[in-house]
Amino acid sequence: MSAMRPVFLHDGALVCSRGLTPAATAEALWRGDAASTQCRVGQQSFPFQALPLPEAGWWEHAQTAFRHLAGQLPDLPDDLPLFLASSSFDIGGIEAGGAPFSLPAGSAAFACQIGEWLGLSGPRSSYANACISGFSALDAAATLIANGLIDDALVLGFELANRTTMAGFASMELLSRDASRPLDRDRDGLVLGEGIAAIRLSATPSEWRLAGLRTGLDTHTPTGPDPSGGPIAALLAETLAAAGMSSGDIDLVKLQAAGSPVSDLAEAMALMQVFGQTLPPLLSLKPALGHTLGASGIVELVALLACLKHDQIPETSGFRHADTQFSTVFPVHRSTRPIRRPMLNLIGFGGGLASMILEREA
Amino acid sequence: MIYLRQLVRQQHSASALPAEVRRLLGKPLRRSTPLAQLAVAGVFASLPDAALGMPLAMIWQSSTGLQAETLVILDEVCNASCEPMPYDFLACQPAMVAAQINALLPSLQTTSHLPLEDASHCQWGTSLALASLWLQEGRYPQVLCGCLEITDNLARGDWLLLATSPGDTPLATMHQSDSAASETVTDSPDFPARLEILLAQPAGSDRRLRLQSPALPKLTVEFAR
Repeated sequence: MSAMRPVFLHDGALVCSRGLTPAATAEALWRGDAASTQCRVGQQSFPFQALPLPEAGWWEHAQTAFRHLAGQLPDLPDDLPLFLASSSFDIGGIEAGGAPFSLPAGSAAFACQIGEWLGLSGPRSSYANACISGFSALDAAATLIANGLIDDALVLGFELANRTTMAGFASMELLSRDASRPLDRDRDGLVLGEGIAAIRLSATPSEWRLAGLRTGLDTHTPTGPDPSGGPIAALLAETLAAAGMSSGDIDLVKLQAAGSPVSDLAEAMALMQVFGQTLPPLLSLKPALGHTLGASGIVELVALLACLKHDQIPETSGFRHADTQFSTVFPVHRSTRPIRRPMLNLIGFGGGLASMILEREA
Repeated sequence: MIYLRQLVRQQHSASALPAEVRRLLGKPLRRSTPLAQLAVAGVFASLPDAALGMPLAMIWQSSTGLQAETLVILDEVCNASCEPMPYDFLACQPAMVAAQINALLPSLQTTSHLPLEDASHCQWGTSLALASLWLQEGRYPQVLCGCLEITDNLARGDWLLLATSPGDTPLATMHQSDSAASETVTDSPDFPARLEILLAQPAGSDRRLRLQSPALPKLTVEFAR
């Protein structure tokens, strides 16, 4: 086969709980903002990281959010391939329509509406692999670019508030009642959030190169990985090999860690297997952004790149006490150390795993 | 070289799916949705015995997805205003299809689900291009591409198993193509039927079939006997 081309990241756009642009989000993360709103499910109430937009019906809320996102993007050719990632699509809009519920002709029909809102009428494909959806979409776009089948793509992740996801996660007892505490001794569950983010991938050089990306499966249980961390460690090793790097090359890990008792344990165990006793700085963005599920891969990628633009690694809100099961694995305090090769991890509902390594070009 | 090892076309009444799964696995598949049963039946029908233990990636698409299960959860959440039953929430998650297959087939390394915008819209071009590139990169030795639809009481699945090794009797070869000399079909639900017609030609026939996505012409793939 012909040599593969390098793939670069350009033009991130972001609308999330911490701000309506990547720069605003990075500033809020550096300040340590992590305040949340409350969302009721039956008789219970859970924290939720909502978009800072005026209250509106679901469709108006979605359109406003996408308008903010579109406003950040440069002029794009209208035939730019669009790769979309979500785990809930327009379920909130279907809820808003009320009973009897009317489902669209296809489960990704909302992608067509998004294309219209963004002024993109070219080819589209959608990816729904729970929490790793964003990296599935990135992987597809990057694979086609690397092999010369397309030159550019916009990869977009979106997750908007809806009752179905919140109630479903509540029913599985996966949600915290007060805060997300990644890797903390007292962690007791996730805090969900909404967010939309986009990033352009291209064969044209930029500051950041996608060095390696791999996806995998760990179906130890339907909602949680093998607590030994073995399958996650294997995937991280595979991603390092794909990037042509060793664990010592990684100088930051953006964790999946969301405050889940089991998934955080599995990720910590995997990190110890891959990095040994000398772990790179660790960071979780989920306490501040919420777990944006199918969008989280792209939302956290764009937020991280906005932080690294100013050589700022924010603190992981919610972390207070190391867990004695993995006492050497804890998030870094705020840091201004320049980062060249970050690793970004995702662990998904239903067993999906994904990891990506970026490299900052000299 | 990429080889088409299997083309499997399934069509069952939804009520017949459990029996089909039991026939293939020798046991029933409990607590699973019709879509998961269709997927399990398709995967096991597509993999020859010698391929069961080999690392496998799966790319699957569907327009209908888990519609019936989604209506159940919407009714529980919005009409009953309480927490849904945990199983009902899990049942409407496409990722759970992969989890159920992986529990039976540990060699499944990764899956990607491409939900479709409507029943006339397909992603065979993208699926086959990704499969081809993953195989050429050496990520996996075999990739299974599927399209699953469940409407009313009818469950339909089309599966193409692609591999880097020919196996005993490869059905065809597949490669990226920019030639205009062969019969061309656009990305549509009819594609597996057109491929089936090609495969009915005698081995050694010079008939070829190209699958083209007009918006992404470089993704065009060509099958040859």
